[in-house]
Amino acid sequence: MANGSEQNLTKKERYELRRAAKQERYDYKARNRLVKRIALWSFVALGIGGIVFGVIKLGGNPSSQEKALLVDAVADSDWTKGTGDAEVILVEYSDFQCPACKNYYPIVKQLTEEFADTVQFVYRHFPLYSIHKNAEEAAWAAEAAGRQGKFWEMHDLIFENQDEWSKEGNVKETFVSYARDLGLNKEKFLADFESEEVQNKVTRDYQSGIASRVNSTPTFFLNGERIQNPRSYEEFRALIGGNP
Amino acid sequence: MKSLERSSEAIPRWIIVAFSIISLIGFADAAYLTANHYLGTSLNCSLFEGCEVVTTSVYATVAGVPIALVGALYYLLIFVATIAYFDTGNLRIMRFAAYFTVLGFLASLWLLYLQLFVIEALCMYCLISFFTSTALFLLGLLVIKSCFSEVRPP
Repeated sequence: MANGSEQNLTKKERYELRRAAKQERYDYKARNRLVKRIALWSFVALGIGGIVFGVIKLGGNPSSQEKALLVDAVADSDWTKGTGDAEVILVEYSDFQCPACKNYYPIVKQLTEEFADTVQFVYRHFPLYSIHKNAEEAAWAAEAAGRQGKFWEMHDLIFENQDEWSKEGNVKETFVSYARDLGLNKEKFLADFESEEVQNKVTRDYQSGIASRVNSTPTFFLNGERIQNPRSYEEFRALIGGNP
Repeated sequence: MKSLERSSEAIPRWIIVAFSIISLIGFADAAYLTANHYLGTSLNCSLFEGCEVVTTSVYATVAGVPIALVGALYYLLIFVATIAYFDTGNLRIMRFAAYFTVLGFLASLWLLYLQLFVIEALCMYCLISFFTSTALFLLGLLVIKSCFSEVRPP
């Protein structure tokens, strides 16, 4: 039937028919290719959109996924500032060699002055051993000065001179010179600096930080609950002042 | 149609795949740093990521534009160009992307120098970016090589 009818067609008609079939095949291919292209680029757009969405979620609030609570309550062995029967307690886990902690140092200091009557401030050591080689010895130095009643003075000196001692090989000498500047007894300072008691204290602080899931410094706990690090003095002030 | 097929064979498939994957990793990395720059609330030193000394230093922005954002756009451009090449088979796009990786590599070298000798601190995500841009640069050399070895159709 098809053969018969095709034979009845003129040469021109046969040509037209073949051309139409060819065009149809071509159209089909083109359509197919268009679908593939649309699929490819939609996939790409979706992937990029997904990544952007993901990083905004991750980068926006890196530590807010989990609520962490302070495990160890304030003890007599803690270094505190402010009033003892305060209703608001701010605990800081800090590393003397951490530049971010140094940035927070003047902020926290100003807070301790402004809220001296209403807030209790606690400093706990959390030396990041793996990235700060001198952090632990700095903590020992502050503790040793504390044995002579000058913990906070040494704490301030250490932060203020962070750039100086951070890169030193023999950091003990520098801390001894700070002790001298503060009028401390050098022999006692050195003995305390190397004592098991002082070193255990720092380790205990570190362990309590680990128990409270601290993994970066500074980490602040306001009334036992971890807070996002405020970005300015005003922000910090509002956070503390806003508490009952 | 025939010339398209020819040119898509000019560059080995694995290079194209590697190019797109690595540029995508670089994009995710730089985009994370950008998001952190604009939205990040915490400023700290972390056990696993080191300190934010680098990303908060004066070198982290150029005229107010965070370098991370420039990096993210760079990787995105490379990625889109690679996909466009995969789609159209147009060698020019791929050659453009390959030459562009030289710029990315040089920028990365400069940033690594800043981290090592000026800021004297390293940032993990910046190092990832250094490795991705170096890998793209090396792959880019292969792309350029295969572009030249290909006898161009008249």
